[in-house]
Amino acid sequence: MDVIVENVTQIWTDRRRGEVQALSHVSHRFSSGRFSCILGPSGCGKSTLAQIVGGMERPTEGKIDIRSADGAQVAPGAASVMVWQNQNLFPWRSVLDNIAFGLEVAGVGRAERHERARAWTGAVGLRGFERHLPRHLSGGMRQRVALARALILDRPILLMDEPFGALDAQTKFVMQEELLRIFEAHRRTVIFVTHSIEEAVLLGDEVVVMTARPGRIKEVIEVDLPRPRRLEMMGSPQFAALTGRVLGLIREEVTRALAEQDRPDGAA
Amino acid sequence: MRRALEILLPMSSVVLFVLAWQFYVDWNDIAPIYLPAPSAIVLALWEMIADGSLFVHLGATVLRIFVGFFLAAFFGILLGLLMGMSRLVARIADPWVAALYPLPKISLIPLLIIWMGTGESYKILISAISAFFPIVMSTHAGVRQIEPGLLKAARDLGASARQVQMKVVIPGAIPSIFSGLQLGMGVTIILIVAAEMIGGSSRTGMGYLLVHAGQVLETEKVFAALVVLAIMGAVIIKTQQWLDRVLAPWADLS
Repeated sequence: MDVIVENVTQIWTDRRRGEVQALSHVSHRFSSGRFSCILGPSGCGKSTLAQIVGGMERPTEGKIDIRSADGAQVAPGAASVMVWQNQNLFPWRSVLDNIAFGLEVAGVGRAERHERARAWTGAVGLRGFERHLPRHLSGGMRQRVALARALILDRPILLMDEPFGALDAQTKFVMQEELLRIFEAHRRTVIFVTHSIEEAVLLGDEVVVMTARPGRIKEVIEVDLPRPRRLEMMGSPQFAALTGRVLGLIREEVTRALAEQDRPDGAA
Repeated sequence: MRRALEILLPMSSVVLFVLAWQFYVDWNDIAPIYLPAPSAIVLALWEMIADGSLFVHLGATVLRIFVGFFLAAFFGILLGLLMGMSRLVARIADPWVAALYPLPKISLIPLLIIWMGTGESYKILISAISAFFPIVMSTHAGVRQIEPGLLKAARDLGASARQVQMKVVIPGAIPSIFSGLQLGMGVTIILIVAAEMIGGSSRTGMGYLLVHAGQVLETEKVFAALVVLAIMGAVIIKTQQWLDRVLAPWADLS
């Protein structure tokens, strides 16, 4: 499913700071079956963009056009599902019932949804933890539950908002590998927000680099590393060249953002 | 060793206190009307158990506590949820809750006696009214303090507005509702016993037993009733806390 972002601008009205422009005239086409990473300095509105695509926020200006293969238009949110950085698991539900939540509200019967949730519990490596509550899981395990809870719905667009941002380095590698495996087995349109350059290059087919606030698209970098991707590719010269290019772009933006913060008139 | 100390220390502090009390009374030959010895209190307690009167009074009090508590819980949770889910209800109810919550409920006793007499309904109503407010406030706060991310996630996963209420808002408010119910239970116990103590309003109940024993200067019975009340309160509150932990194992209930 294609996601066409057309001229999207987002302005927040903040009681203390007045109007804050989070996104400014962003246009991009996220093509069907591609893994796109949105990368940018913090506060550049990359999460906002994901939430607008997911239908959780309405843009101040511009629009989101989501089209299925036969050209039919789909409302934002209807065809996508989000994996959140802080997981947002329901603390009173077991792993199994968290994963089955989407099926439950869709009216799938108990036996069937548990059956399917059990299959996903296995697929994300959580067999044996079906009855556990989220509070008894590690951060990495909670993120697996969140991933399974999203993937079970089989929606054509997967939105991921810094899903591995809070994980330790080792867990992050394992989760990235797992996500690659799942994506390469079940292709779909993925929009993955991150602030890690390596993560963006390792996972993405393209890296959408954003400017500092107000967020604009600075450049889109094609990642032509072959699939299936492996963590070992991170040692290749090709990988180093790509991350180097992205780093150059990001450095410009971070420097610019810092300079702006230091300006005595305190525009920020 | 540590565990043994944890049990032994509180136990020995109680035992030592009781022994000291006993020796103090025996040594100084204090009149039992002023301060009966622990042995006399135990004897009085035993007599009340033997003739069955203790269970009549205790049973009446416990029954009233539960009726008052369940009335307060039902209406308190109901209004609290409605206030949390509907701005309209919150706006209408807010001035009443804000004005009546800090009012000492004991001050309503004269009015309630004028309206309802001194029968069962007055005792139950006064305790239910008192417990109602903390339950309403906690339930309302519980609904408002739901993690917004959970609501977003539920909607994103396809839940309708009604499903969000039933499957996220209500379970999410449960820890707060439970702490409101714990406050409410404490207040119910206080108000039921207080209501039983007021002007010959009753022939049964621990409050009646206390007042009656005090009037005829049976001080050991007063102490015995106090001991029973303390144990009853502790058992009810501890059972409630245990039940809350069993029913809501995900919550951090103090």
